[in-house]
Amino acid sequence: MGTAYNSITFNQAKCDGCGDCMRACAQAKAGSEDLIHARIQILAREDAPVELAMCRQCGDPKCVSNCPAGALNKNPESGVIDWDANKCVNCLLCTVGCAYGGITFDAAVGHVSKCDGCDGDPACVKVCPTGALEYSTAGSLYRRISEREDLFVPGLSACQGCNSELLIRHTLRNVGSNVVVATPPGCIPGMGTVGYNGRTGTKVPVFHPLLTNTASMLAGLKKQYNRLGRDVTMLALAGDGGVGDVGFQSLSGAAERNEQQLFLCVDNEGYMNTGMQSSGSTPAGSWTSTTPVGEAMQGKRTDAKNMAKIMMMHNCEYVATASLAFMDDYYEKLDKALEASRRGFAYLHVYAPCPTGWRFPASDTIEVCRKQVETNFVTLWDFTPEQGLRFTRSVERPAPISVYLKQIGKYKHLDQAQVDHLQRRVEDQVRSLQAFTHMSAAG
Amino acid sequence: MNASKYLIVGSSHAALEAARAIRMQDDAGSITLISRDTHAPYSPTVLPYVVSGRSSADRVSLRTPDYFQAEAINRVTGQALTRLLPAEQAVELEDGQRWHYEKLLLATGATPVIPPVPGLDRIDYRVLRTLDDAIALRDAAGKAANAVVLGAGLVGMHGAENLAEAGIAVSVVEMQSQVLPGYFDAQAAELIRAAFDRQGVTMKMGRRAQRVEPQADGCRVHLDNGEVLNADLLLVGTGVRPVTDYCQGSGLDLDQGILVDDHMATNLPNIWAAGDVAQARDFYSDAKVVTGILPDAVEQGRIAGMAMVEDPALQPYRGGVPINTYTFYGQQAISVGISDTADTAAQVAVDFDAERGYFQKIILKDGRLQGISAINAALDPGILWQLILRRTDLSEVKAEFLAQPLETGRRLMSDTWR
Amino acid sequence: MTAIETAIDPRYQSRSLVCDGNEAAAWGVALARPDVIAVYPITPQSSLVEYVSQFVAEGIIDAELMNVEGEHSVLSALQGAALAGARTYTATCGPGLAFMFEPYIRTPGLRLPLVANLVTRDTLTPQCVWGGHQDAMLVKEAGWIQMYCETVQEVLDTTVMAYRIGEHPQVMLPVNVNSDGNYLSYGVTGIEVPPPVLVDAFLGERNINWHAALDPERPMAVDPLTGGAGGPGPGLFVGYRQGQCDAMQKALDIIEETHRDWGDRIGRHYAPLVEEYRLEDADYALVTIGSMTGAAKDAVDAARDRGEAVGLIKVKTFRPFPVKAMARALSKVRAIGVVDRSVAFGWNAGPLYQETLAALHSTERFLPAASFIGGLAGADITVDDFSGVIQDTARLLQGHRFDGPRWINRND
Repeated sequence: MGTAYNSITFNQAKCDGCGDCMRACAQAKAGSEDLIHARIQILAREDAPVELAMCRQCGDPKCVSNCPAGALNKNPESGVIDWDANKCVNCLLCTVGCAYGGITFDAAVGHVSKCDGCDGDPACVKVCPTGALEYSTAGSLYRRISEREDLFVPGLSACQGCNSELLIRHTLRNVGSNVVVATPPGCIPGMGTVGYNGRTGTKVPVFHPLLTNTASMLAGLKKQYNRLGRDVTMLALAGDGGVGDVGFQSLSGAAERNEQQLFLCVDNEGYMNTGMQSSGSTPAGSWTSTTPVGEAMQGKRTDAKNMAKIMMMHNCEYVATASLAFMDDYYEKLDKALEASRRGFAYLHVYAPCPTGWRFPASDTIEVCRKQVETNFVTLWDFTPEQGLRFTRSVERPAPISVYLKQIGKYKHLDQAQVDHLQRRVEDQVRSLQAFTHMSAAG
Repeated sequence: MNASKYLIVGSSHAALEAARAIRMQDDAGSITLISRDTHAPYSPTVLPYVVSGRSSADRVSLRTPDYFQAEAINRVTGQALTRLLPAEQAVELEDGQRWHYEKLLLATGATPVIPPVPGLDRIDYRVLRTLDDAIALRDAAGKAANAVVLGAGLVGMHGAENLAEAGIAVSVVEMQSQVLPGYFDAQAAELIRAAFDRQGVTMKMGRRAQRVEPQADGCRVHLDNGEVLNADLLLVGTGVRPVTDYCQGSGLDLDQGILVDDHMATNLPNIWAAGDVAQARDFYSDAKVVTGILPDAVEQGRIAGMAMVEDPALQPYRGGVPINTYTFYGQQAISVGISDTADTAAQVAVDFDAERGYFQKIILKDGRLQGISAINAALDPGILWQLILRRTDLSEVKAEFLAQPLETGRRLMSDTWR
Repeated sequence: MTAIETAIDPRYQSRSLVCDGNEAAAWGVALARPDVIAVYPITPQSSLVEYVSQFVAEGIIDAELMNVEGEHSVLSALQGAALAGARTYTATCGPGLAFMFEPYIRTPGLRLPLVANLVTRDTLTPQCVWGGHQDAMLVKEAGWIQMYCETVQEVLDTTVMAYRIGEHPQVMLPVNVNSDGNYLSYGVTGIEVPPPVLVDAFLGERNINWHAALDPERPMAVDPLTGGAGGPGPGLFVGYRQGQCDAMQKALDIIEETHRDWGDRIGRHYAPLVEEYRLEDADYALVTIGSMTGAAKDAVDAARDRGEAVGLIKVKTFRPFPVKAMARALSKVRAIGVVDRSVAFGWNAGPLYQETLAALHSTERFLPAASFIGGLAGADITVDDFSGVIQDTARLLQGHRFDGPRWINRND
């Protein structure tokens, strides 16, 4: 626990299925041309994303638990699951433990084989021509992104532990400077991005739309840039109120017209910038300053609306949800959303737990993000009209909602019935989204 | 009285997995592992390889002493559990010492079933359940020329192969008509049996040992057809049963094993059971079954540990699925889920080539995988297990799955990874 | 030659058309060559945006047409477009204007020279889809330049002029061109559409966003937070506000200059701020606004024939309010009857009446005055009605005073 290991990461969107990695692996590991020896298996198929079978070097490896001979061990130094040929008895029970085809019987050599990471210099990564395979840690991913220019000034006045500041800095680093940024009233301009009294907090064009009209203003801007023949990205960094409450009409209209923009909702479940008032995305039971806790009322009485799902129903070019506990997932989606925004409307819904407004320690932000996902309170998925909805992280076997709720002060008054309600709500939402998988909304 | 917050009786897969799950959530609560055995923890599954010499007896431990020290897990060895005292939240060991617990896990495993064959009690036969058994069998094999193996289950088959490879003339007596019943159907079993035939192992299928007669240098085994087999080594591999003798009078609900719910909890407060001793939900029916298979023991141990430590991420047990991997004479057999069905609504696809020794059988129902068994076919049992447990709908990819279960399964699971 | 040149007049001469005010406005839009147009229909403006859309479809107007989901987004999109340098157009009225209010009140502060026709309509409730000035009067304090048209031809001409006025570098304010719903929107007359080449020369090069742009090539923050205690906050805010007010005052000159130049180039002259009609030897006068003025002038002519010394003062530019021009006109008479097509709640009078009296203050003179309110809900203020107004106003000279407004059309 607590150690970040380098590992071979796979970016499905970049993979063209060429198979160079398999050839390199077979050569490196068996000196053979025969791809049967490759410990990385690319599964390419027409009209479908490329899938991958290889050892993921799990943190909690079942292959190790299943080994009766003590031949498999998670190496605490490298993070690699080491296989000891001298102890292996060829019983194949390890293969029962792996759900991803990461350790398999190689008939040609007569024993199981698995990726050993090539001692930190994987042959497959070196030959990957598209950059789909990388050898990195989450930390090195951040480092790479942080080499790009931070387009916000230092010293934005966000609260300690603010998820949104992290998000917008990383986002704009990826988006680059050929952009117009709209930040409707909320925490993001509140922390000084548009600036105060003549000074700006952003190095690119930035403005305050109204809380109500972000998508429309960007649409007008884009129309004129198209007319001028200039390709400029339109980016909204909006809070949930500016998205799902008063901002909804203009958002819905822009999505319907497939305006070319990337609309990013930073969902902190209420009006956190102005004193934690309730919004349409505040979950049931939440304490807020307008849904207080007392004899007659115990937090918000109604459920939050699922904005990402609503946007999916607009059949946008791209819709995705994201969490900062899963940055690689976010970066991948951001790239896709940016690309989609050149063609039409792209919507990213990023969940943004707020230490100040939700009452949890500033140091716990990312852990709260993670628990949101692990309990299915937040599900990670993306949508295109062609592919329909696709979960980008499995929703199978979530932890119970109580694991998430107990971390957060705004839920501390909940009684069992309220917890049960939220649990049911989570399950209903997942079921509902599952119904959209493999279903093209274009149909 | 000795006391441990978490008391775990047993020291194989279920016990070790439970201890690990507990430590994930509680890094301070005392954990004590009690085992009958005096060796470092090992897996019964590795024993045939100790017999064959592939594994050396001193290198099969599942955990090093460093591990127990690092994780602050206390061990009591060489002490069988003799009595449960639920009212006092305590157990009593064979030397009389008592341990108080807050949470108790019974992972006492199984012990060989000795069939009621007249004369057997007067014979110095071998079984294969403990490391000491394996060492004894290995020693006996070194001196034997003729061996009889009772039972063509996994223990019997592994034993027969090991003994034959050691140059011993081996006969296997199995009262059912096929080897490895439950894991393979008759057709697949026949392929396996034929391989043993080719290696000179005499396979007596559908035969029963009627009585055993001691001899100066061994015994004679009289079969139900009148045939007599001479053996200077008799290996009894007719199955195992859960070790539950200590449960007498405790009030613990027993059937074939200790009955548990989907959190591996027994009917008594603060007592859980997991692994080969436990009788838990079957995946395919409402019945409760003793599965006695290693991956299931791991699964149950993890669930029990999480339940004991009140890990909120605990997911209920999804039910036992028969699952096994079996290598014989360099060939690989795997079986995940059911291997045969009488259900006419099921779709069964068999691919069989006796020449190549190839067999693959896929059973689907309502677009969902029920079972797959194969010999010398490249498959990922772990992926297939998950497809069964998750009741993954394969309707849309059925043709593809039947043609290429390996690639299709990998693709499906890869898609769930992100 | 561009599509519009061909469509209007290949010989670069005016083309005569018979059309209503909404179509006339659309021809004005075509002549102004906007880059981005956003529309949302509302009675009685609908046919105007239909004409504009049709012109886009036919290539007569080469612009991005945005069919957005409501007036709020109409104006928002146009603000965005203008910040990218676009000349823009839209039109609305009544409930649509009310819905547009949030971006509407922001536009002048952003100093974006948008042009929007208001095809005026009475406000709800009572439920009503007919003409009246109440909608435009409700937003008179929002900071937009507002000019009221009297004729269908003037709708076309003023729509074009609005761009030059609003975009003038010393003004940079949005402009409403107001035309009476029903009377001008649907009233059909013959008009002249001026040749595009002359209009192009009249409007000159556009430069919409020189002062505030959202452009990666000129990165800046548009509209950072100002105000609050300490720092340059309140001072900065006051500075911006004062600049808006100064621009409004400057606009009076620019409106006059623009009308003069229009007259010189196109040959049609309008009183840009306040029109004085038969005022030179008048004892008293009517004060009017918008399309009612035609009937009022007929009534004045008839009264003159009867020997009444009555004149008329018509207000064209209501924002900025032409205080000096109004004072000059008022100084010529001894009593006034002010006819409003809307009400000023709480004043028991019409808003034009109020504003006229406020302008009078600068003359340091007292004039007896009466407030008349008519033409609400699309009602016709007839020549006979105006004759009554003239009679009532004349009574002021005899010392009569009215308590509260005179309600025209109460018995219609």
